[in-house]
Amino acid sequence: MDEQQALEARSLYRTFGDETAVDHVDLVVRPGEIHAIVGLNGAGKTTLMRMLLGMVRPTSGTALIAETDIGKASREIWAKVGALIETPFAYPELTSRENLFASALLHGMPRGHIDPALDRAINRFGLAQWEHKRARTLSLGNRQRLGLASAMIHQPSILVLDEPANALDPAGVVFIRDMLREVAAEGAAVLVSSHHLDQLARVAHRITMLHRGRVVGSLDPLGTDIESQFFETVYRVDVELGAA
Amino acid sequence: MRRAVTVELLKVRHSPVVATTTALIVILVPLLCLGFLGVAENGGVGALGAKAELLVAGEGWEAYLSILAQMVAVTLFIGPGVVVTWAFGREHAEHTFPSLFALPVPRRSIAGAKFIVLLSWGALLSVLVVAASALLGLVVGVGSTADVNLAADLARLTVAGFLTTTIALSIGLVASIGRGYLPAIGAVILLTAAAQVAVLFGTGGWFPFAAPGLYAMSGVEGVTQVGLVQLLLVPLTASVAVWATMSWWHRAEVV
Repeated sequence: MDEQQALEARSLYRTFGDETAVDHVDLVVRPGEIHAIVGLNGAGKTTLMRMLLGMVRPTSGTALIAETDIGKASREIWAKVGALIETPFAYPELTSRENLFASALLHGMPRGHIDPALDRAINRFGLAQWEHKRARTLSLGNRQRLGLASAMIHQPSILVLDEPANALDPAGVVFIRDMLREVAAEGAAVLVSSHHLDQLARVAHRITMLHRGRVVGSLDPLGTDIESQFFETVYRVDVELGAA
Repeated sequence: MRRAVTVELLKVRHSPVVATTTALIVILVPLLCLGFLGVAENGGVGALGAKAELLVAGEGWEAYLSILAQMVAVTLFIGPGVVVTWAFGREHAEHTFPSLFALPVPRRSIAGAKFIVLLSWGALLSVLVVAASALLGLVVGVGSTADVNLAADLARLTVAGFLTTTIALSIGLVASIGRGYLPAIGAVILLTAAAQVAVLFGTGGWFPFAAPGLYAMSGVEGVTQVGLVQLLLVPLTASVAVWATMSWWHRAEVV
């Protein structure tokens, strides 16, 4: 990727009625970097990711993708993006292979590249045994693997994954960590969220803490006891906001 | 758009909802027509006999086609209404809607592709149900064709069926705005009832959800004749609903 900033949030702000979900968040994800967002449930991680992908419009602020306003992003830009936000791309009536085929088509892959990409993804994501099984028959973990494979079938250079380790077994968690390292090493910009600080510490280049919709600090992935640091920060912010 | 059409076609081909609806309509409609004809001809008693008398006009093929016309008017709205509900509502009920964002294929095209596939399926369904009914009638021998122009009547029923499936596309708007199955199923029931009421009050021709049914029954004694302008309101209304649905898909957020 040529762009210096693959994803950027500029003072992103979103409310739902009286509730502030994301409160003037600034964030940048650069090519070759894994940027992790960590926060408790309801911290605003998913809403932030949704705004960066155009799924939710900001109340104010700007979301940029490949240095382009999200509302003006071209098809060429979107063809570089892969995402898994909450529910995997897995239509129950289709087989794993058919789901991957559908995803490849919708991600704009050239027709001639699709079949080899399907074979590659099926082997890479450990789906060979379930290649011709309908998605409705897959376990939660395998549906998640299928969703991740669908998001990455076209080898995106911008990858946004919300809780990618959801439902995965320990081997799956190790697999996804290796996968993220690999795609980042190839130059992709990765934005990932997780509840599990330990997982993030093993893979992220940067960790941003989100709490009550705000960026409340960052963590050094190589630092010691980042879990304690996280909870101290959260507690401090709660006390400050409570006092306010 | 072609990519989106391929994907939607894939979903429809493997959908148990579409397969079941198609099979039920194509198999049951001819059998029900034959059943009602038999009951009417044999002077059936009770509620079934009364219903058969209401449905049947004339004798032989004339009677058989009059039953088919009414079956087409109802089943080709309810069945496709359910399928359209599934096609649009499932993206919300099964939480796949967010997967259709951040793609080079615009969501407007994905909604448009759903309509193209459903419209084509509706055309095929109309041909199949009328052809199956005609075939059953010929095989069983429902009587004389002296009082009917069979080819013209079958063609009219096919067009009426297609118009009925076309207006059923409007349900896509309700399934989208309602983000699921229930509001759309409610709309199917409500519009079916509203069409009956409009016909009862003699204004059915101007109600696009009733006009195709009245057109199907053209020639049956006592049925209001439908004009070309009234029939044109059907594709016009469906087009407005399709446009509104595609616009909704373009602007909608994930909630």
